[in-house]
Amino acid sequence: MELDEFRSSLDTWLDRHDETLRATHGAGATLDDQMAHLSLVKRLTYEAGWMRFGWPERVGGLGGSPLLRAYLGEALTSRDLVEPGIYSMTEVLAPTMIDFARPELAAVMVPRLLSGAETWCQGFSEPGTGSNLAALTCRATRDGDAWHVTGQKVWTSLAQYADRCVLLTRTGSVDSAHRGITALFVDMDSPGIVVRPIETMHGAPEFSEVFFDDVVVRVDRTLGHEGQGWAVAMDLLPYERSTALWHRAAYLYARLQSLLHAAPPDSLDPVAVGEVAQLVFALRARSRATQHRVAAGEHLGPETSIDKVLVATAEQAVFDLVADGLGPDVAMGDDPTSARWRRELLYSRAATIYGGTAEIQRNIIARRLLDLGSER
Amino acid sequence: MEGTERELFARSLRHALESGRGGDVLDGSLDGLGWHEALVEDPRTAVSVLFELQGAAGAHSSALPAVLGYGLGMAPPATAGLVLPRPGHAGPPGTVDRGRLTVHGLAGTVREREGTVVVVAGTGDGDAVADVSVDDLDLRKIDGLAPHLGLVEVVGTDVPYTVWDELPDGRWERGVALARLAVGHQLVGTSRRMLELARRHALERIQFDRPIGSFQAVRHRLADTLIAIEGADAALQSAWDDGSIESAAVAKALAGRGARTTARHCQQVLAGIGFTTEHPFHCSLRDTLVLDQLFGTANSLTREFGRRLLATRQLPPLPPL
Repeated sequence: MELDEFRSSLDTWLDRHDETLRATHGAGATLDDQMAHLSLVKRLTYEAGWMRFGWPERVGGLGGSPLLRAYLGEALTSRDLVEPGIYSMTEVLAPTMIDFARPELAAVMVPRLLSGAETWCQGFSEPGTGSNLAALTCRATRDGDAWHVTGQKVWTSLAQYADRCVLLTRTGSVDSAHRGITALFVDMDSPGIVVRPIETMHGAPEFSEVFFDDVVVRVDRTLGHEGQGWAVAMDLLPYERSTALWHRAAYLYARLQSLLHAAPPDSLDPVAVGEVAQLVFALRARSRATQHRVAAGEHLGPETSIDKVLVATAEQAVFDLVADGLGPDVAMGDDPTSARWRRELLYSRAATIYGGTAEIQRNIIARRLLDLGSER
Repeated sequence: MEGTERELFARSLRHALESGRGGDVLDGSLDGLGWHEALVEDPRTAVSVLFELQGAAGAHSSALPAVLGYGLGMAPPATAGLVLPRPGHAGPPGTVDRGRLTVHGLAGTVREREGTVVVVAGTGDGDAVADVSVDDLDLRKIDGLAPHLGLVEVVGTDVPYTVWDELPDGRWERGVALARLAVGHQLVGTSRRMLELARRHALERIQFDRPIGSFQAVRHRLADTLIAIEGADAALQSAWDDGSIESAAVAKALAGRGARTTARHCQQVLAGIGFTTEHPFHCSLRDTLVLDQLFGTANSLTREFGRRLLATRQLPPLPPL
């Protein structure tokens, strides 16, 4: 299906099913509510076919351009039917499975993710390994046709809801750096896994610590080959900075629009409003070009770090404007709408931290795009 | 134009810019390369390629009046003598009040001028296009910040004129939108030139036994520069896709602010040498500040945009995916 046809048919379908798709919990949702609602929306859009477009047929998709996925996420986000962060996890994890899992495994598993039957998480960061991913120490030892995993992950989004985890482990020597990493697809109900959600300042325990104590993972659950984990991670990161960012840009546009409606007269400085709207425009323009590069089959690389900095900058700018325009509500309102603005404002503080900090993105830009050589 | 044709066009223009010096040489090349025909056939390519190259080469031509004129629905040779709005303004350079024409605008590169210039004037009842004799105007060659641009201030009060056309409603704004895209591309080109000068310096300049480009403070300044440039460039491309007057204004503002940010970071990285006239950086800084003044500054466009958003409480639609 072509994008224009997809857009108009989807819009019609969403209009018709708005009542079924819209969350009943309103603005004051807990993360549990949001996750339950996300599964519902994914199931309904999967059953109606929309969620299957833009994915290859061998994993239960209906084919077509990845632009269709980008538009589906945009439509669901801008209609406020899903929260973009939890929705877009699919955009990060499904391509990894398609590129690196055994075809039979991908064929069974990916449809479960797309249809909302399962939630997956991404086990990358560790207490001693944030930006320096190549230093990870969560150990996997081979014993016959099984891996034994022992170690700890942290900042694992949605781990407490997850059925599976794309996990990076150390399989080489301690000092093997990026060469000795292997990616595994782990069942989260395996014996030996303990998940401890982390209370965050925005009030939703979105991240968890995950402990692995001699967890057994079958060797046929290896993603790619042994020692190929770095390639898996590098393949995944540009996805994190493409379609998912397009969804986030749609969300920021919608929230800025809501702010314009909600802010009392004279509470906002015209120059500040103009500047923030321009940042959102620039982000959207940049991300739009990236979506079209993906659709043309181009390989995404370090230039997506620019998209990532633009989205983080725009997100914080939008919510700084919320702090100006809706300051009293954010500071003291206890109604659900105020609580939502507050939650989103607090969450926006993390935009320059998660998914590679603003500093790491600038390091990538300096080394890979500006060719400034090594930092030492 | 298709990919290869466009590439060929860009290469010929680049060659003309590199071998030429000063406005008149370049204007001759534009005629020779069929740039004016390209402006009609494929304005996006003609404008974006030429103006970004002009910025990147620190070169200038009298193509800007031609772009404005094309947007107003005029054709050469009338567009060559078209008067631009004065610095910091985007309205028509003329006003007609009770039959008397006042002119305050800018002409492009200084040339042997004969005869007439073309002035668009607000009449209070739409915009009229008028011929004005050069002899009836005061012309001042502008030295200012960037004498090399060869701009001329054009002033006249109660000037005799001949109206030969009236512009349809909204046509002036459409011409301005096109001119803003042109200046925006030139600002992006100027920014890329500044970044390249600073980048090269960061690799060559050794302090504490290391190239200064190995220090994170320097690297992050240059990274921020590239982010500002690419954001503005994307907004310009999107404005072409979109074709709206609003998008062109947003893109011009982003390009102007991006170039000011670029100038600040690059000058700091270049440090002492960038403060001298022995290094070419100062020319780009001068161009940046002057280009920001043409057809509305980043600051004024941003304030107007914000005021409109607060008055309507409605974000304009964006180009669909």
